[in-house]
Amino acid sequence: MSNADELARRARLRVVELAARKAIHLGPALSLIDVLAALYTRVLRHDPARPDWPGRDLLVLSKGHGAYGLYAVLAELGVLTAELDDLPGHPSDGIPGVEAATGALGHGLSLASGLALGARLAGSDRRVYVVTGDGELDEGSNWEAAQFAAHHQLGNLVAVVDRNRLQQEGDTEDVCALEPLADKWRAFGWRVGESDGHDVAAVAEAVTALAAGPGPAVLIAHTTKGKGVPFAEGDPAWHMGELDAAQHHTAVAALTAKA
Amino acid sequence: MTTPSIAPRPASAAPLSMRAALAPVLADAVAADPGLITVGADGRALFGQVIERDPRRYVDVGIAEANMVGVAAGLARAGLRPVAAAMAPFLVRRAYEQIRLDVCVPGLPVVLLGVGGGLGYGPLGPTHHATDDITLMSAMPGMEVYCPADAADAVRVVRTVLAGTPGPAYVRLSARPDPVLSPVASEGDPRRPRLLRDGDDVLILAAGRCVAEALDAADGLAADGVAAAVASVTALRPFPAAAVRELVGRRPLVVTVAESLPPGGLGPCTAEALGSRGPALISLHTDHRYPPVAAHQDLLRFYGVDGRSIRSAVLSHLNRKTREA
Repeated sequence: MSNADELARRARLRVVELAARKAIHLGPALSLIDVLAALYTRVLRHDPARPDWPGRDLLVLSKGHGAYGLYAVLAELGVLTAELDDLPGHPSDGIPGVEAATGALGHGLSLASGLALGARLAGSDRRVYVVTGDGELDEGSNWEAAQFAAHHQLGNLVAVVDRNRLQQEGDTEDVCALEPLADKWRAFGWRVGESDGHDVAAVAEAVTALAAGPGPAVLIAHTTKGKGVPFAEGDPAWHMGELDAAQHHTAVAALTAKA
Repeated sequence: MTTPSIAPRPASAAPLSMRAALAPVLADAVAADPGLITVGADGRALFGQVIERDPRRYVDVGIAEANMVGVAAGLARAGLRPVAAAMAPFLVRRAYEQIRLDVCVPGLPVVLLGVGGGLGYGPLGPTHHATDDITLMSAMPGMEVYCPADAADAVRVVRTVLAGTPGPAYVRLSARPDPVLSPVASEGDPRRPRLLRDGDDVLILAAGRCVAEALDAADGLAADGVAAAVASVTALRPFPAAAVRELVGRRPLVVTVAESLPPGGLGPCTAEALGSRGPALISLHTDHRYPPVAAHQDLLRFYGVDGRSIRSAVLSHLNRKTREA
């Protein structure tokens, strides 16, 4: 197991421990942890000891309801020392490592586009990464931002779609179909990659390759909602939930067995 | 056969619009401050001179106000000072959530210019009216809200905001040229009310386009034997409560008038400032009635916020007091 995989496993354990104490957005947090682990350990230019380092790359978590996944990864990196219990259910300003407050869906791509354009105007070689949900792409503002980023050829912007195929009420294709999703991004002028979103090496390699090209790029990271907790995997009912003692035991056992 | 194009010509004698007055001011501000960046949504009248001097200092998002505000927030987080403009109805309604969450909650220094707030787009109808902009922007945490009374006042407001506002600000701009007021209306600090005409019987507090209406009303009231004072209130948030109380002094009657819905606006803010033991207070404002197809001036009449309506309201009140006495 690589360092990144081990970091992701321990981050999942943090999320599961929290979910045993209170109801959280469990499935969304678990589905994006490998993507975040890949980005933070292999792609982003950053210094965990100096989260405000001006030369750092930026990551905006547009799917703010995945907050505890982000906090858990930041905690494993040593960026965050606060207890997860004390942190808000969506990323807020003032939390080390959080670059932008999010939570209302469909805001992150615009924010990230502004950050990327701002970096370019400042002559900075900083890159901006934004992680969106897939259900989140129902929001029209994403496509305003997608059109904008392509028009301005924001080559320092990479989006990653956490494509777990589930939104609150079920399959994205049943609620309001997103497919053909890659074609939609291409039609908006983005370069598109796809990968297994739980293979940290594949995610890192794909994002690095995409980041090297011109204009904005998006990685569609195919994931499983609730990844790592067998009974929650692929079950929209675990979009939000609290683990009882037996569920907690099962979840911890599953994550520990993989160590 | 081709038809030669004929460019539309502006009315020759019209006073300067707020946009025309602000265009060189914004261009100078951008030239002087490398941190400023302008952002628009397919409307370049305000930023034409910025673009002429350096097109890199203007970002056009197209007709996409929500994205415009999100991008502006990102630019602000990147250390820039965005001045973003769009037509007021679409800016405050389509981008409401972005304004609130991406700009105001983190307190970012984004200046929003809403073109055509109030009823200025006249016959274009209710899609283009924004009598709710002051209400909506006043509900934003930390937002400064301004409603300048003429082009010179708009210039004063924008200069003041760029010089000294650390957080977000909203400025309602007129769609069309406004009547030009006395220089007093744009002198000094726009965050304080300005007394444009003195009189002991009544104080008319007005915002934006209605300041000119209040002055008309005061002329008429003088003929009626009523001495009306008129003050313009450009800053609605933070509301200059103490200065308004001071201005009211011992006058027995205060009238507020604005082409806005009441909540968060001039009427309720004045009532709160004066308290329950203050002078008699009449609040004239727009309401939710569906507007007729009409020019701006006629819409002011329709909603009862034009000069004649103000004069009538004052006379009715005084007549009633006389009868009661």
